[in-house]
Amino acid sequence: MKQNKMIYKILCLSAVVFMALRTPVQVSASQATSYTYASDEDMNWERTQDAYLPDKTVTGLGLSSPEDLFIDEDNMLYIADTGNRRVIKYDINSGQVEGILENSEMAGPRGVYVTREGEIYVADTAAKAVLVFDRDFNLINKLTRPDAPIFADTNYEPKRIAVDGGGNIYLISEGVYNGVIQLAKTGEFLGYFAVNDADLTFSQRLQQMIFTREQLANLVDINPTVFANVFVDRDGIVYTATSGTNRNGMKKHSTNGGNMFKTDVWSYDNLTDVYVDHRGLIYTSSASGYIDIYSKNGEEIFAIGSYVTTTDIVGLFTSLPSIAVDLDGNIWAVDGTKGYLQSFKPTEYAQMVYTAMDLYESGLYEEAMEKWNEVLRLNQMSVLAHNGVGKAYLHAEDYEASLEHFKVANNKEYYSQSFWEVRNKWLQRWLGPILGVVAALLVIKKIVKIIDRKHGGEMERTWRALKEKAGGLPVWKDILYALRTPKRPMDSYYEIRRYRQGSVISAAVIYMLLFVDFMAYKTVKGFIYQTVKVENMDIGSIVLGFFALLGLFIVCNYLVTSINDGDGTFRQIFMIPAYGLMPAMIAMLTVTCVSYALTYNESFLLTLVLLIGVVWSVITIFIGLQTVHDYTFGETVKSIVLTVVFMIIIAVVGVIISIMWNSLYTFLTSVGKEMIQNVF
Amino acid sequence: MFFRRMRRNKVMMAALSLAVALGTASMQAQAYVPTNRDTKVAPEKAEQTEESFAEYDLLLETNTVKYYWREDRDIFAIVDKQTGTCIRTGADLPFPGDVKDAVKALQKGDASPEEILAAAESYPDDLNSTYVGIANSLITVEYYDSDKIKYISSASEEDAESTLRKISEEKYCLEIRFRKPEVLMNVYITLGEDRIDYFIPCEEMTGSGLNRLAAVEITPFLGASGGRMNVMNPDTLEWETVDAYRVPGYVLVPDGSGSLIRFTRNTSVFNAYEGDVYGRDYATETNYSYAYYDDVPVKDPVMPVFGIAHGNGQMAFAAWANEGAEYMDIIVNPDGTRSTSYTWAYPRFELNVNYYQLYDEQGSGFFTQMEEIFHYDIDMTYAFLFGDGSDGTPSADYVGMARVYREYLLDRGELELRETPEGDIPIRLDFIMGDAKSGIVGNTQVVTTRTEDVEEILSRVMEQGITNINAGLMGWQKNGESLSRPDKLHFTGAIGSRRDFEKLIGAFAERGVDISLSRDTVTVNKKMVTYNNTAVKCISNWYLSIDKRAILPEHVPTALFSYGTPEKTASWTGQFAQKAGAFSNSVTLTEMPHVLTSNWNRDGVVTGLTEAIELYRETLEEIGQEKTLNLEKPNMYLWKYTDRYLQAPVGSSQFIFETDTVPFLEMVLHGTMEVYAPYANFSFYTKDCILRMIDYNVSPSFVLSKEPSYKLGDTFLANYYSTEYTLYEGMIADIYSQVNSVLSQVQGFEWTARHVPEDGVVINSYGKDGAYKYVIINYTEHEVTYQGTTVMPESAAVVGKE
Repeated sequence: MKQNKMIYKILCLSAVVFMALRTPVQVSASQATSYTYASDEDMNWERTQDAYLPDKTVTGLGLSSPEDLFIDEDNMLYIADTGNRRVIKYDINSGQVEGILENSEMAGPRGVYVTREGEIYVADTAAKAVLVFDRDFNLINKLTRPDAPIFADTNYEPKRIAVDGGGNIYLISEGVYNGVIQLAKTGEFLGYFAVNDADLTFSQRLQQMIFTREQLANLVDINPTVFANVFVDRDGIVYTATSGTNRNGMKKHSTNGGNMFKTDVWSYDNLTDVYVDHRGLIYTSSASGYIDIYSKNGEEIFAIGSYVTTTDIVGLFTSLPSIAVDLDGNIWAVDGTKGYLQSFKPTEYAQMVYTAMDLYESGLYEEAMEKWNEVLRLNQMSVLAHNGVGKAYLHAEDYEASLEHFKVANNKEYYSQSFWEVRNKWLQRWLGPILGVVAALLVIKKIVKIIDRKHGGEMERTWRALKEKAGGLPVWKDILYALRTPKRPMDSYYEIRRYRQGSVISAAVIYMLLFVDFMAYKTVKGFIYQTVKVENMDIGSIVLGFFALLGLFIVCNYLVTSINDGDGTFRQIFMIPAYGLMPAMIAMLTVTCVSYALTYNESFLLTLVLLIGVVWSVITIFIGLQTVHDYTFGETVKSIVLTVVFMIIIAVVGVIISIMWNSLYTFLTSVGKEMIQNVF
Repeated sequence: MFFRRMRRNKVMMAALSLAVALGTASMQAQAYVPTNRDTKVAPEKAEQTEESFAEYDLLLETNTVKYYWREDRDIFAIVDKQTGTCIRTGADLPFPGDVKDAVKALQKGDASPEEILAAAESYPDDLNSTYVGIANSLITVEYYDSDKIKYISSASEEDAESTLRKISEEKYCLEIRFRKPEVLMNVYITLGEDRIDYFIPCEEMTGSGLNRLAAVEITPFLGASGGRMNVMNPDTLEWETVDAYRVPGYVLVPDGSGSLIRFTRNTSVFNAYEGDVYGRDYATETNYSYAYYDDVPVKDPVMPVFGIAHGNGQMAFAAWANEGAEYMDIIVNPDGTRSTSYTWAYPRFELNVNYYQLYDEQGSGFFTQMEEIFHYDIDMTYAFLFGDGSDGTPSADYVGMARVYREYLLDRGELELRETPEGDIPIRLDFIMGDAKSGIVGNTQVVTTRTEDVEEILSRVMEQGITNINAGLMGWQKNGESLSRPDKLHFTGAIGSRRDFEKLIGAFAERGVDISLSRDTVTVNKKMVTYNNTAVKCISNWYLSIDKRAILPEHVPTALFSYGTPEKTASWTGQFAQKAGAFSNSVTLTEMPHVLTSNWNRDGVVTGLTEAIELYRETLEEIGQEKTLNLEKPNMYLWKYTDRYLQAPVGSSQFIFETDTVPFLEMVLHGTMEVYAPYANFSFYTKDCILRMIDYNVSPSFVLSKEPSYKLGDTFLANYYSTEYTLYEGMIADIYSQVNSVLSQVQGFEWTARHVPEDGVVINSYGKDGAYKYVIINYTEHEVTYQGTTVMPESAAVVGKE
């Protein structure tokens, strides 16, 4: 029997070496438990490739209500194990507890920070002190309430702490609204490092403006939003996290405490922590279990996490009081309710994004482009990557290649820059030939004219006859009349009133053309000037709004002028806007067409064209109303104001009726359902 | 029946022995820190304790086991005759009050210390009398007290009584009378060679409180581990609290590919694992509306099976539902859950639900339950496994559990062994043809791949030497899949006309490449169809609403969906298969194979889950007679008709208390159908992932398009971040060749064993006609040497014998 032979023979040995694989990364299988979001081209959060995957889950530390994490230069993780009144030193690499810091002075450690020298600073709310330990866990200092008179009435219950290279201590204290408390190494109060502004509601702002001092004194105190956490990075820059606001909840402070971010930074309104890694990437955590990653300039890169209450899945938290980032870029988070640690490993995708950003910032544009292209291989929808590749092409003066990437990333500013160069190149190449062709055409025209005259002008006569014939067509004639109206508004509208010029049909055709023109203006402008994408538009509302506004104006003006001795008939009023809107129509058409050829630098041209068109139309319509109704200037103004008021009233009544009808419909269907459910 | 494949078993055991021998061979010792995505080394050996059956009656002795019964506590003890290993269906605990009263009485009297000690039976510290009843019980029921769930067990101190009535030598009936609410129940118990079967006929459940029942639980503490006991100190005669012996072992749950929950002491309190078999029935959920959010949905069990193993190859059981699976939940309470220090697992059969009855669109309503419980029979089988499998029987671990469950499915005809030709493994290539996005007027067609592009891409793939290909075409319709009716075949010239598709599919069929049209025949939205008589209505008589706004781009044509009724879904599936099958040999169905919902109206249930399953089975049986069926993540009831299992999970939902991931699903399915991994495009292409494909014996799959995927940015398919073929041309060849170079060598072999000699190293054993091969997968960053064969870091090797 063949299988009974005891000699093993290696049939095949396929030691598969994966060195040739194009993706040399150490990440696990796709095991994300929450989706990763990144900003899309419209600055909305959209799902993207997984940026972080849950990695290690450490449940055996017996943590009780842990509140703060810190990772030192040796990759040791310190956990403020608040409920157990201790600080745990955990070795990330070996997965072992390196030591437990317990001390009789420690009553409720809620914040921990370790300096480069290995000194452990503990913010102890219950002990109302900052405890300082050496690397062997010996207590070397206890900083109690500063005795400066200015600090006398301030609550001193330290809950979060950070220390800069000079030994200055930054404290967040329970119940302190004045800002981050700054202490010298000796514990001397140096002042409030940074202060948050109070976010006032509209009514509060109004109160501030009109109330007397006595009235303001009677109002409830308006406190600024409170700092939730503070962090000092390797360069000594202070960062803070503030809860209670979505705008600028995460700040990077200059030495005078000001916010270094130039633009608003969005964050969750329940931030709990801020942390900065060795690359300068900024991480925030929120109480509802989300972790956000920002660039050093405050641009949002990724958001991960989700809030859960009934399922215990790695990477999802019931409460997330703190995060820290180790030297390998892994995020460590702690669940404050369930008391376990969870690490997240950056995926190849996230690593590529970070590397590309670093390369670009270092001025290595070609290398950055290579990396961004790799990012695009994993996520062709990455706005960051398209921007990155586009900018790299821009630096490499490959403007045409950059256009497509800026377009996908919806980066109009950079697209405009590239487009300017492309257009410039095009003009340099083609301007001469184009001018030559134009000149040639003019010469040909002149020659044809001369020849025609020599032969009796037959060609010119035929052309004129054709024009006249076309001008005599019923609707076309009226449309041509509409074209003349803006040039001679008084005469034209007088003829409309007196000689019944124009027609309702031509006005209706003009309205339809105007609508098409308006829709084209709204939807098909050149990329730089098309601010809203078609798929993002509420087309129904635009169409409804256009016709409703027009209809309301005509009807309301008719009703108002009927009782104010206006001479215009409904037919004439219907025609007035149509014949007066030609300049606006032409302006919109011009803007739509020209927008394909202009950059941001020439945007004033489009604004000017549109402004001229609109103002011209408004004046024409005004003159039209005045002429048709035979009003004075004052009467015309009055009738327009009344028309607008009447339009508003009708719109409000319409909304009220709509709401009431909805309520009635809901009531009737509820009664119907109840009857069906319980009676039949 | 069990050992009918003895020849194969011998081969398997020889393979296993070699694998174990290889595992003990020398290897470089470097730390590999496993996570719960890995399979760790087997648990330690469990201590064997001396068992007493003084309080038990011997009911039956088979060739393999002895069955004992303890009447007062409703407990079966199953004893392996060969090793003496015993497992009880209940915890066999006294009621704390009884023990304390007895001891107090003795202490007050003149009893001697010996008499007191004899009466001082250890009692649980962290279980009250209700929980002691549950821990001992054969059956526990949940019932609604208002809208809260309460428990009564058949072994309850006061609230129930039960009697075991003998019907025949192997057959018994446990007659249970629950007092409050009053419910009578007969549980028919069949004692087999090495397994017990419990059958609870619906018709024999009676009593005035019947409709208040919420669920039935069977042997909730079978195989439980842990506990804290009060033990009397013989010197001081005082009670002392000690931790009970924690058996090394685990619970196997069919979460994703399969997951183990090892018995450990938790310092955190977790919620229970609740695996809703075949996925949740959205129609009977509390609310009619369900919203996707930022967390990835958990992987629902696709098969009604779980198990528990004690020790290393010592004792285990696998339990599965023969009937009632569609109403079954698999519950695991890890240590610390529900205030107990036990880890316990059991099947829960839902009988009634608490739901919110809305009566207006503003959300006004009230909580209520169904007037009548679900009507279905419950049938559970528990197969007991003893030993490490060296005698040819299934081993007492997850591998043995997979084997017995697989054999059960083969016997029942739910699975069928198929002849797998030797040679290259298959690869699955799906194409995104297009979709729709909002336009100025209506929707705009987005095209990412045309028929001629598919032809070009497939030809280029074949030029690279990959020939065993099957492909699916997604979004081939006019206006994309989400806006076109499931039963219609409307093509658009922008992608390809009907004739183009016919030509493409026909041409490649001649070249041995199977191309099919893919379709989701269950998801609907109001832009696709009107909901009247089409969409599922929930128990509250409102149309089911599935809200995907959080995970779809802001301006997709619609983000609110529902499911078609089972009748409509079955009908659409049949019509689609008939029409699409006119020019293809196969059909691909995406959502329908793993979505199971009931349908209701104001009079009650229109189509129950059992009827829905029957409808789907009938439909696919008819289609399957003529066509090859490619099904995405099909539930067990459709395995019979599945030729290709697409998007097979290669991982679990990752509950915190889950400690290992195992290829249980893949082991059950192996050799019965082609099984494909999730798309490699999306974070599934790394070394680790490729090794996992080899480890789990699944074939690679990709989703591709001709155009860049950012064109899909405003469509329903926006989450396909990267699909452009030119980006993946090299990767397809790389990954395929790496997986194929290993798995092609075990094509046609039976997967017989899986062994983890050290963390990060897995040995899979395969056998065929006396020959066997081992696939050694080295996930670690160091070389591993087995009997002279060196496996490089992060690589795999095949070693074989002839």
